[in-house]
Amino acid sequence: MTAWLFIAPAAIAYAAFVLVPLAMSFYYSFLRWDGIGEARFHGLTNYLTVLTDPKLLQIIGNAFQLVGYFTIIPVLLGLAVASVIRGHMAGPFGTATRTILFLPQVIPLVAAGIAWSWMFASTGVVNQGLRAIGMSDWARGWLGDFVWALPAVGIIGAWVLLGLCTMLLVTGITKIDPSLYEAARLDGARPWHEFRYITLPGLRQEIAVCVTLTVISALASFDIVYISTLGGPGITTTVPGLEIYRLAFAHRQVGLASALAIVLMVLVLISIAPIQWFAREKK
Amino acid sequence: MKTALSNTLVARGLIILLMIVTLLPFIAMFSAALAPQGTYPNGLQWPADPQWGNFVRAFEVSKMDQLLLSSTLIVLGVVPISVLIATMAGYGLAKLTTNKYKWLYLAFVFGLTLPFEAVITPLYYEVRALGLLNTRFAIILPLIGLYMPFGVYWMRAHFLNVPHDLTEAAQLDGATRWKEFWLVQVPLARPAIMSLTILLFLWTWNQFLLPVVLVQDPMQRTMAGALGAFQGQWGTDIPLLCAGALLILAPTIVLFLMFQRQFVAALMQGAVKG
Amino acid sequence: MAGLTLRSVRKNYGEVPVIKGVDLDIAHGEFVVFVGPSGCGKSTLLRMIAGLEDISDGQIGIGDRVVNDVEPRDRGVAMVFQSYALYPHMSVYDNVGFGLKLAGTPRDIRDRKIREAAKVLQMEHLLDRRPAQLSGGQRQRVAIGRAIVRQPDVFLFDEPLSNLDAALRGDMRMELARLHRDLDATMIYVTHDQVEAMTLADKIVVLDAGIVQQVGSPLDLYNRPANLFVAGFIGAPKMNLVSARVAAVDDSGLTLASDALAAPVVLPGGIAAANGDGVTLGIRPHDLQVESNGPFRGQVQLVERLGNETIIRIALSDGVEITAALPGQGAFAIGSTIALGLRPEAAHIFDASGMRL
Repeated sequence: MTAWLFIAPAAIAYAAFVLVPLAMSFYYSFLRWDGIGEARFHGLTNYLTVLTDPKLLQIIGNAFQLVGYFTIIPVLLGLAVASVIRGHMAGPFGTATRTILFLPQVIPLVAAGIAWSWMFASTGVVNQGLRAIGMSDWARGWLGDFVWALPAVGIIGAWVLLGLCTMLLVTGITKIDPSLYEAARLDGARPWHEFRYITLPGLRQEIAVCVTLTVISALASFDIVYISTLGGPGITTTVPGLEIYRLAFAHRQVGLASALAIVLMVLVLISIAPIQWFAREKK
Repeated sequence: MKTALSNTLVARGLIILLMIVTLLPFIAMFSAALAPQGTYPNGLQWPADPQWGNFVRAFEVSKMDQLLLSSTLIVLGVVPISVLIATMAGYGLAKLTTNKYKWLYLAFVFGLTLPFEAVITPLYYEVRALGLLNTRFAIILPLIGLYMPFGVYWMRAHFLNVPHDLTEAAQLDGATRWKEFWLVQVPLARPAIMSLTILLFLWTWNQFLLPVVLVQDPMQRTMAGALGAFQGQWGTDIPLLCAGALLILAPTIVLFLMFQRQFVAALMQGAVKG
Repeated sequence: MAGLTLRSVRKNYGEVPVIKGVDLDIAHGEFVVFVGPSGCGKSTLLRMIAGLEDISDGQIGIGDRVVNDVEPRDRGVAMVFQSYALYPHMSVYDNVGFGLKLAGTPRDIRDRKIREAAKVLQMEHLLDRRPAQLSGGQRQRVAIGRAIVRQPDVFLFDEPLSNLDAALRGDMRMELARLHRDLDATMIYVTHDQVEAMTLADKIVVLDAGIVQQVGSPLDLYNRPANLFVAGFIGAPKMNLVSARVAAVDDSGLTLASDALAAPVVLPGGIAAANGDGVTLGIRPHDLQVESNGPFRGQVQLVERLGNETIIRIALSDGVEITAALPGQGAFAIGSTIALGLRPEAAHIFDASGMRL
């Protein structure tokens, strides 16, 4: 009984502002409703639209393309840094590193979006750099480019997540017993073998954490896209989060927006499940 | 020996490169913020005539003082109560329930991966029905609910590690559950509570989706939400935009630099556990 | 003034019974030790008395009150945990005084009681420290101090010495005995170490598999173990057990024989056994002596010289090994043959079901 008294406040807050809205989302997803007038039952039509409409499929595809940038770049770079450092970052240099690499985690994503919009602007720093190394042909307004806008958005996400992943992996690698590396070297292991057979398995948990975190922030991205491109040009950088917002509040297609919301939630869940399973297996 | 040395050098080099990449956007914003007003600055350069006045103007047009107040009010509305009820529930789930109530815990955990976008539409109608649209409560109340999965998960994990003997000793010492919670468990949970507080502070301060959807008036929003509005209004004036963005970032960054160790620890643990 | 009564007390975890009906009377002021192998239910029984575990069936009374449904804090018991369970964030002073504070004891009385307890335990100089700054023995004292200030009717100890090293354990054992004398309180003490049980207890309760095997004074248990389990558990080195059968019974006594025995063992009368019964002969290592025509004849397998005595292990003809503790520093060669005899009155006889005859 006492247990309930302790749990109840949290449970009520959770139910009121997560579970109830979620149930409503689910309910809306079967409706055709403009948010004002009368709602009509629409069956599975909304879901059918989400899964067949080429525009919406492209939008979902965009989110998965972002996973490539948000996840792969930070994890690979983090692994590279961790395996060459392979030790504690102590002293003032370590503190400075930690502080700086964590900055992107502390600032709002909106600020990252603004900073990078300027970096990617036609007179911005990226183009300045390209011109300086004689690649003027490459200079362009990156975020307005039909081909390059999505990768540019991906780079912004990678920039935000890079420091965190690096620090997680660097910390993870210090937990691997150094004598393992010595033993491996005596067994005749090359640096590649050390990485493959000691570092990677030893970092399994940390890698899973990084991947989980970055996959969620890619699939559920909103802030960065909203600020840097608003989904454009065309819909080349539109992601589900942004489309839900637009459908529900600009196009007044609450039912379709809700169906997309439910699909997004399910996509996140099924993307995360195998990673969690992979991490758990170790124990 | 030689390889070890060159390895260290490569590592340092890599890290310095990473730091430069991390800092570059900030430096770029800073250089643009000093360019003459209304001009279109050209890349990274130290302006001939740095316009420090841009910061003053950005302070005025963004009504920084009111923004700070608004964000602070929201944080004060969200964080203490979220931490309190999450701590209570974490304790309840870890120490007072048997396996029979595992489902309750799982129900909370289910929310961990939930994208806020999945519930934003109904939240709008719910908040409207409560008559709270365009008030700070439109952000405060939903955030408390949305933080419960992480908060409860986090505190439960902490309480699970507290030896059960302590609870029993407190019981024999004559403590009711309520007293045991306040006099024994909460003091012991201080580090976990600190970290949770830092994380919830950051997430609230930086929250963007909720203010954009639920609150029109930038003066009732969080810092991040206000920055969004600021960009919408001054997006074409790059020097002013950059100056404003840097100003809006300043409070968090100052706090972060002051409590660097705690922030980093909280963010790392938060990532690992989340 | 409170004794303790347990009436057919049972405990089940789901379908699994762990305490299978315990009846026990403990008088006020007694020092009672629950002893048994790990998993025998001794800690569970203690925790049921404390109120930390529900009682599935039966009754526990403290003083003249049934406490089955009384909260732990209202039972008048204090407990010292194996891990000590000190509150890490409180000073020793606050740890000891926590219970009094919760009970709303006025500050000055609280202060006096804490200082008195500290004095009794000689830890006045530790009062300002945190548990983390204390050694194992000091933590132990604090845990006991916390129990003392509450002036409970019954003290409960759950393997309190098992986290200490051997030397400290000896000291604390004596300290506990002194405390018991000084405080005139009922104490119940759980341990798996029969030496602690023998040295501390007024009364030992031997438990195995959730059942009380025997209750009695340490010497009772040593001299007259009720069954094979108690016989094997109490006393070190362990009692030797040899199967035999009754070869003859008459008024003067009974004669045991077995393939393992080189000569029949003749025991005094008064033992209820019939000719041909299979029995177990128990004999403590210290009750054996060298005897050229003794019944235990075999090859020396192992010799341990302790100085004051010599422990040898010999293999009887059927392969059964027995241990003897012989006084002095006799010269025994491994592989040599030796014969041991016993004083007849030192023999213990158990029937086929393991009960003492």
